[in-house]
Amino acid sequence: MATAFGSQFSALRGRRRERWSDLSPMRKREAKFGLLFIAPWIVGVLLFALFPFVASFVLSFTKYNIVAPPEWVGAAHYEHIFTDDPLFLKSLKNTAVYVGGSVAIRIILGFALALLLNTKVRLLGLWRTLFYVPSVVPIVALSIVWLYVLNARAGLLNWFLGFFGISRIRWFADPDFAMLAFLIMSTTWVGVTMVIFLAGLQGIPEEYYDAAKIDGANMAQRLWRVTIPLMTPTIYLNVLINIIGAFQVFTQVFIMTGGAPRDATRTYVLHLFDHAFQYLPPQMGYSSALAWILFMIIFAFTAVIVASSQRWVFYQGGEE
Amino acid sequence: MFKRSTLLLLAIVMLVAMLPLSMTVSAQNPDCEGDVTLTYWHHWGGNRIPLQEHQVAAFEDAHPGICVDNVFLPWDNRLQNLLAAIAAGNPPDVTMFGRQDLPFFAATESIIPLDDYMAADGVDPAIFHPSEFAGTQFNGKTWLLPLPGGGAYNIVWYNTDHFAEAGIESFPQTWDEMLEAAETLRLGDGEFLERMGLNAQSTSGAGAFLTWLNANGGDWITPDLRTITINNEAAAQALEFMQAMAEINYGIEEVNAFWEMAGEFDQGPLIQGLVSMEINGSWTLFQVEAHAENLNYDVAPIPHGPNGSADRRGSAHGGWGYMVPKNAAHPDEAWKLVKWLTTEVEGDGACWFIQQQQRPSPLVECNGYEKDGVVHPRAESLLGVAALDYLVPVSPVQPEATQIINRMVEDVLFGDSSIEDALASAEAEIQALLNAFWEEYG
Repeated sequence: MATAFGSQFSALRGRRRERWSDLSPMRKREAKFGLLFIAPWIVGVLLFALFPFVASFVLSFTKYNIVAPPEWVGAAHYEHIFTDDPLFLKSLKNTAVYVGGSVAIRIILGFALALLLNTKVRLLGLWRTLFYVPSVVPIVALSIVWLYVLNARAGLLNWFLGFFGISRIRWFADPDFAMLAFLIMSTTWVGVTMVIFLAGLQGIPEEYYDAAKIDGANMAQRLWRVTIPLMTPTIYLNVLINIIGAFQVFTQVFIMTGGAPRDATRTYVLHLFDHAFQYLPPQMGYSSALAWILFMIIFAFTAVIVASSQRWVFYQGGEE
Repeated sequence: MFKRSTLLLLAIVMLVAMLPLSMTVSAQNPDCEGDVTLTYWHHWGGNRIPLQEHQVAAFEDAHPGICVDNVFLPWDNRLQNLLAAIAAGNPPDVTMFGRQDLPFFAATESIIPLDDYMAADGVDPAIFHPSEFAGTQFNGKTWLLPLPGGGAYNIVWYNTDHFAEAGIESFPQTWDEMLEAAETLRLGDGEFLERMGLNAQSTSGAGAFLTWLNANGGDWITPDLRTITINNEAAAQALEFMQAMAEINYGIEEVNAFWEMAGEFDQGPLIQGLVSMEINGSWTLFQVEAHAENLNYDVAPIPHGPNGSADRRGSAHGGWGYMVPKNAAHPDEAWKLVKWLTTEVEGDGACWFIQQQQRPSPLVECNGYEKDGVVHPRAESLLGVAALDYLVPVSPVQPEATQIINRMVEDVLFGDSSIEDALASAEAEIQALLNAFWEEYG
């Protein structure tokens, strides 16, 4: 799938832009219908994405309590964030740990599962479904389930670890383990990554493996020399999606710990949310400034990954 | 290759997606006919939902032409929901409202003062207990009417069977006695708890630290709400007490881990037998009677600290009320609903609603423990405990102040800070917030 995307994208890049006057009546009619059909999406993006995006940037330079008009304060919020907000660094550090851990878990586990479920095993559809279904369960319900699984005294995970002689772990009460608990919970969404990997694996022609077998490549060599290089576009896609999502982790933390204990699970978006909706007076301007800093961090990460992709992402047919 | 599994996956995805995702419950009487439909938000969950529905139906019967869309919202998101609705210009007509949130909303006039309505309808402030009505005031105006009471939030509910088994004959009156009793009642292996004597981190209303500070005779803020006063001996003793209680329970991490098992209503720690003593509000009576009718228990006031006194135990702090936001679609009819929810003594309104839950009423004429003409046998002891309540003021920056105080307590209990440093730092931090508030809104 991702390989196909790559090819189409390359083809589009090579196409010369056509002028409206050069189009035939039929192409013009098609273009009008095309615009008509995507109009709701365009309106939605303008209203619900672009406008708030621009508005939040302006608000980040104001003091805004929601019920009174914003008051211009210049870069005061940014200055305060970087010089006088200890929870900014703390929450950023926690988020970085979550991003690193959860992205690694989802990529490695998702890829491993996809490899397993790309083989001819019995009840294949059932297995694929079982691994995917948790991803579509509402996060509130998931959080409640995980609270039981990770309960220190009566939780399923501690019961299981007990068979290996591991003493009861106080997952959400011990600052050293609380973030690890959320990383374990992040396996819930591995199904999404798995499905994308699975689609990528099915796009690899069987002939490559046949040729490798004839050349005497064993399973590990086929994985390392054929599968992984041809899966790099899909890995690239999954890494980007997961990094962007992980930086914005919020709901499960808000429901399950509220940032406790010792702010060990206070993530960046939770910190931002508190300033906007938990404190009185609400600090919407400050929250907007926090949001823009997060946006710049995500943007920087994305830019680095995109820039580096030319060196490690390979498309079939030699296209970049 | 994908076909069958994809179809199966799609079917399951659709089924799961159709599950109800929202926590919000809205109920509107289909038989009500009227020109005006009020939107009413409240946070009365659990077994109070049917009581709310009954109360609202009684209002509709008594006020022909007015219907009510009765919306239950989770307490946790109350500010987010209300602020978003006010900002969007589409607030509810009436909403339940925490008195601790009043200063900001009143200072910005985001809610409607009720004094003119009260004067026009002859609602005399004297119908409320003075301490209850005091929490409705800001800048000399009345912004909400109280219900339920803001007091009786910190009563010690204790399991008399546990006390008898441990050979404790009388309930502790001082912190030293409380620590001794808690240690005797605690069950565990030295590392993991089986039962807690008392969780000093779990109180209601003002939060744990302010509750213990109050029981030690300390005030955390001056009456004019402009100066924080927690860097003193009474506060240090309160933290020392909390620290000692956590150590009895094998440390703060074990306390928090053990407490994860406790929930609300039928999952409450006292009902589950997880604790021998639980500090909780007057609503516990309703929960115990609904979910643990065989529990043998009694109630007592919070023991006082070395700086405290026998007549200052529990804390009256915050509480609830009902108000009308600015830009409400039907303010005149909304006032009628507020009046029904907070002042009605004859019909199935304010007094009936409180009596069904058997808890103290802010209305002088309403005995909350008198249900269907019968006074609850525990009424006297519960009201006796509530009589030892002392008003702990709400600051204008309460939500953030509470978070700072909680962080301060954690700093001490996790051993990351000395008591002196933690108190000094928290006082300075809250004072800065307070100064900023008064500078802008004072």
